[in-house]
Amino acid sequence: MQLQEFADRSHLDSSTIEAWMDAEWLVAHRPGHPFSEQDLARVRLIEDLKGDLGVNDEGVALVLYLLDQLYGLRCLLRDIQAMRITADDRTH
Amino acid sequence: MAADPYATLGVKKDATQADIQKAYRRLAKKLHPDLNPGNKAAEDKFKELSAAYNLLNDPDKRARFDRGEIDASGSEQQPRQYYRDFADREGWSGYSNGAGFADFTDFAGSDDILSEIFGRSGRTTRRGRGADVRYHLELNFLDAVNGGKQSIVLPDGSTLEVNIPPGTSDGQILRLKGKGRRGAGDSPPGDALIEISVLPHPYFVRKGDDIHLDLPISLKEGVLGAKLKVPTVSGAVAVSVPKWSSSGRVLRIKGRGVPRADGGRGDQYVTLKLVLPKKPDPDLERFVSGWQPSDSPRQSMRV
Repeated sequence: MQLQEFADRSHLDSSTIEAWMDAEWLVAHRPGHPFSEQDLARVRLIEDLKGDLGVNDEGVALVLYLLDQLYGLRCLLRDIQAMRITADDRTH
Repeated sequence: MAADPYATLGVKKDATQADIQKAYRRLAKKLHPDLNPGNKAAEDKFKELSAAYNLLNDPDKRARFDRGEIDASGSEQQPRQYYRDFADREGWSGYSNGAGFADFTDFAGSDDILSEIFGRSGRTTRRGRGADVRYHLELNFLDAVNGGKQSIVLPDGSTLEVNIPPGTSDGQILRLKGKGRRGAGDSPPGDALIEISVLPHPYFVRKGDDIHLDLPISLKEGVLGAKLKVPTVSGAVAVSVPKWSSSGRVLRIKGRGVPRADGGRGDQYVTLKLVLPKKPDPDLERFVSGWQPSDSPRQSMRV
């Protein structure tokens, strides 16, 4: 989705979106459609962290960085599990 | 019918706003679905927790609830799509990063499945990044153990210098950052992944960080003991063979095995092999025929 739609649906103003992109909390992906549903859900997560959970900006950056590693690792584990199963199928 | 919000948060009816916030934060850490992607039940529990917190965190709503004017269901949350629903799907999301585990590539090499997966994950990390290129490099046993520089001649005729770290093992994959295909536009190039095969050695055998070696000794050396020169991966060392050593006795030479990443080294294990002279020796035959052994070496076998 485009910046305008993203700003409307996330209830963020464009300067906040810019600041979050500068901080690399958000990354615009494809030039034509910079934002996705995933980015919207990420905004909700950041708002939870900054709001109810009381995490400050430095903390948000750190939490996101570690979460991105966790999700990468989960993806990797899933791949390993899938390939183990495939490998087992081949040998049986 | 929603549960009692005080019970959900685990606070007393007279809890202060600060207590309520503290209780919420403690529970939210464990129940927020995005922070606990492996906990399938987290979503329902977190929904309940958020509803309870929404109600009690607002002093006005809390007072109306306490007076019985509204019930807990009034603040139930709209269904929402969590970040984990996207980030935790098949394949890497644009945000995933491997900084916490990318180094496993190096010893994942012993497992084809792992190295293939690491290769794939690496390729998809960033959009537009050049593809990884795989090469194969055969190393002599000692070059792999001791490390050093090697070069690979690429299909286009150019050469790629590879630094082999000491202790490199068979099947390991070395990653040379930025030595793969060029990326699109300004994107960084991919990596070169070099799969290592280590050729066997005529007498050294590697097991983990240790080196094993069968050492032939003469009858005389076994019976009387001797100080012998023994080859190790880092040059010959003098070793004392104790007198009265049978075939199969194992001597350990500490710190003469494979170099480890932490700067230490494994050990070398030397298994003695008593070897008779190549040609029959009449003197030895005459000498031994006059010798009467006092016990049978096969006593424990009861034959």
